[in-house]
Amino acid sequence: MVTVLLVILGFAAGLLGALTGIGGGVLLTPLLALHFGIPIRQAIGTSLVAVITTSAASSSVHLQRHTTDIRLGMTLELATSLGAAVMAYLVGYFNRNFLEGLFAAFLLYSSITLLRGGKLKSDDESSPSAAAVNGEIVIPPYQPKRYPLGMGASLVAGALSGLLGIGGGPIKVPVMMIFMNVPLMVATATSNFMIGVTAAASALVYYRRGDILVNIAAPLAVGVFLGSLLGARLAPRIHKRVVVYLLVAVMFYLAAHLLFHLAEVNL
Amino acid sequence: MSQVREPEFDRAVAMVLRVGAFGCFFIMLAGLIDGLFMGGSIPVDIERAGVLLMLATPVVRVIVACFLFFREKDFKYGWISLGVLVILTLGAVFGIGEH
Repeated sequence: MVTVLLVILGFAAGLLGALTGIGGGVLLTPLLALHFGIPIRQAIGTSLVAVITTSAASSSVHLQRHTTDIRLGMTLELATSLGAAVMAYLVGYFNRNFLEGLFAAFLLYSSITLLRGGKLKSDDESSPSAAAVNGEIVIPPYQPKRYPLGMGASLVAGALSGLLGIGGGPIKVPVMMIFMNVPLMVATATSNFMIGVTAAASALVYYRRGDILVNIAAPLAVGVFLGSLLGARLAPRIHKRVVVYLLVAVMFYLAAHLLFHLAEVNL
Repeated sequence: MSQVREPEFDRAVAMVLRVGAFGCFFIMLAGLIDGLFMGGSIPVDIERAGVLLMLATPVVRVIVACFLFFREKDFKYGWISLGVLVILTLGAVFGIGEH
């Protein structure tokens, strides 16, 4: 029965993730740790498999729309995969409290990005997609700028990915958009594209250490795959605001739960 | 430079990801069905194969992109892809550290 529950959970995370572009890992790691009693390090490793699945499924859709900047993505992946692989090694040296606290902070940060990005998105996305002719999406010409800054931020995003079992989209998308002069649609697609390799860099380390629970990862990935495929189809047609509020509510709940758990253990 | 559109390149990379994701999905689904309805004689091995395929997919994606860059004589990005591949390989090889 746990298996069925995990499929449903993965489906919900994949769906929400694809609809809002935030990825499922940020929900899965704390859910596994808090509600399934899985040690945090194994929750991270297991959630990484679902993160790769989401990236592969949604990124193939983006690639077909030709909105992914493969060269930019590959360049930044040098930094994200390095950060992710190194942190996957070091995660053993951080204690559980630190990881849970950091996770709660990242959840709160992501909720704020989502709430603020909702406004940005509706302004920015309406113009390029309005320019779509016969399903062909027209992207205004751009030239990525400030590579050193982008690489630095990618290193941090990769490190967080390896440390928390997440994709790190809420860091990469704003950085590419605001600092590197990349249009939102390209930034989103490219971030998605990078997440698979980033997560794989740390997942390989987790796997070798035995921190990926195969019997948990499999049902999760099955659910996430279906959820993110459906989400990618629905995304252009659905009213995003309701979904964003729903996701933010879930994230606040998880952050509060983590903090409560921390307080309970330590006080 | 960056906004050069290369539909074939996109398609090839998308194909790798799709094959990996779908392949992994069906393998894991088979493992789940076996586990749930058929007493689960070998599900963990099937599921493990699915997980390994999922971990391998991004690596294959980098290899394919690397190959395509070199074939296009875009050496800068060929080397960059190779660098990513080296990092992934090092993680996989040395990821045994038991803490």
